[in-house]
Formats: sequence, structure tokens, C-alpha cells
Amino acid sequence: MKRALRQFTAKRTPALPEPEVLSELRGLRATVPHLTGGLVATTDGLVVAHDTNGLEPEGLAALTAAALGVGSRLIEASGQGGFRELLTRGEHGYTATYAAGGYVVLTLFAGPDANVGRLHFEARRAGGRIAAIADAALERQDRS
Amino acid sequence: MASTEHALKDAMSSIEGAIGVALVDYNSGMALGTIGGGAELDLNVAAAGNTDVVRAKVRAIEMLNLKEAIEDILITLSTQYHLIRPLTSRSGKGLFLYLAIDKQRSNLAMARHQLKRIEAELEV
Repeated sequence: MKRALRQFTAKRTPALPEPEVLSELRGLRATVPHLTGGLVATTDGLVVAHDTNGLEPEGLAALTAAALGVGSRLIEASGQGGFRELLTRGEHGYTATYAAGGYVVLTLFAGPDANVGRLHFEARRAGGRIAAIADAALERQDRS
Repeated sequence: MASTEHALKDAMSSIEGAIGVALVDYNSGMALGTIGGGAELDLNVAAAGNTDVVRAKVRAIEMLNLKEAIEDILITLSTQYHLIRPLTSRSGKGLFLYLAIDKQRSNLAMARHQLKRIEAELEV
């Protein structure tokens, strides 16, 4: 079922190189203290790569897409342009979603003691690199 | 008693050689206010980075079982001084002032003295 879903979406969005994206996620885990996991998904909610420490990535990617939809509508309706990031704080930690180019997002999970300034800094940079990976994948697909 | 905005402006104008100043929440690593910095010194990045410095020192003091508080932290670079001063007032708990100054144009003793005064007057 999952495989069939992926093949279906592959027609619309190019297949991203999972190892490259996964190494970005692993790099973030190594550099940002209190980061507990993360995933990269397409804006329509399909997992590209995940490092979620036991949490179920498909469900989280789908929820990310839903939150992204509401978040980007809210930011556009209030006249603040396109979606860039979304931070949610709970009793026991944070979830943060960052736009990585036009059709990919990076979602990270962090503990309550996380340095949010640092999280933003590292995640924005990683988002830029993931966007470049996605753009390269799109170009490759257009050529073939 | 001075507001955050006033304290930051005061630091920039009264401290010789000031490059940038920020009031930072070290629970989140986010800056509550910044002045100066510019292209060569991103104060929001400095806030996040120096949050790790303050947290590490607080932890070191705990590990040593010292019943002490940090008065200030001085970091000396080749051409700059960076001064970190945690707030002591009750309303300023979990915050620190961060000041970057040019080594050539500044007087470190005077800068510390001024920052101490600004910190004492600051009401968040």
C-alpha cells in the first residue's frame, strides 16, 4: 500500500535522494542539543527521509502537511507572504516545521530545554541545503 | 529603572567602541532585543551561540558544587571583546546582556563598569 502511494506521487514530485537528506537529519541530531528527531516530507505529506527515534514517520508527515496548510493560509491571510516556518511548544518540548524550497519541508522535534535560537539557525541552514538537493532532483527529472 | 529598549540604546551610546548589544533569554536562546551588530555580527546568531556558553558555565558551577552566581563572562578575540552579564533582578531571571566591543576603540574596565550599571538599572 505504501509502495503504491509512493509510485503514485512520484509522477507529481520527483524522487529525492534519501541518503543525502537523511545525512542532513543526522547532522542536525549531532549539532543541536536536545533535538530528539526529525523528518523531511513533501508538502503533500509524504516522507522523504526520517530519523524519528521510534515515532511513526508517516503519521507525523501527514500531520505536518495539515499544519503546513493551516499555517500557510494563516500567514497569507494576515498579509505576511509565503510560509517559512512554524513552531509549536508543548508541555514537554517543541515541534518546528521549516520550508525547504517550494515543495519540501523539514520537521524537527526537540526537548523542553532546547535552544530555540540555535534550532532556528541550524534548521534554516539545513533547510537551504535540502532545498538545493530537491532542486537538483527536480532538474534531473526535467532533463530525463 | 530603564526599559529594555532604553538599556540597549544606553549601552550602544555610552560604551566606547560598542559593536552590538543584545538582551537574551537563555532558556530559549532567543534575543528579546538587539541593537547594532549589522552585517559582520548577526546578534540573533550570537544570542543562540552564547546561550550555550552561559548554560555550559552554569552547569560547570553546579558540578563544582559552588554556591556562586556568574557576575560576568569575558571572551577575548583578536580584535573584539565579548561581554556576557546575566541579570540579577528577579524580573530578569534567565536573561543575560551580551555586548560586543572593538578592542582598539574601547576601555575594557569602563565597558564592564557601564554594563554593570546598565544591568542594575534594567527592568524587564
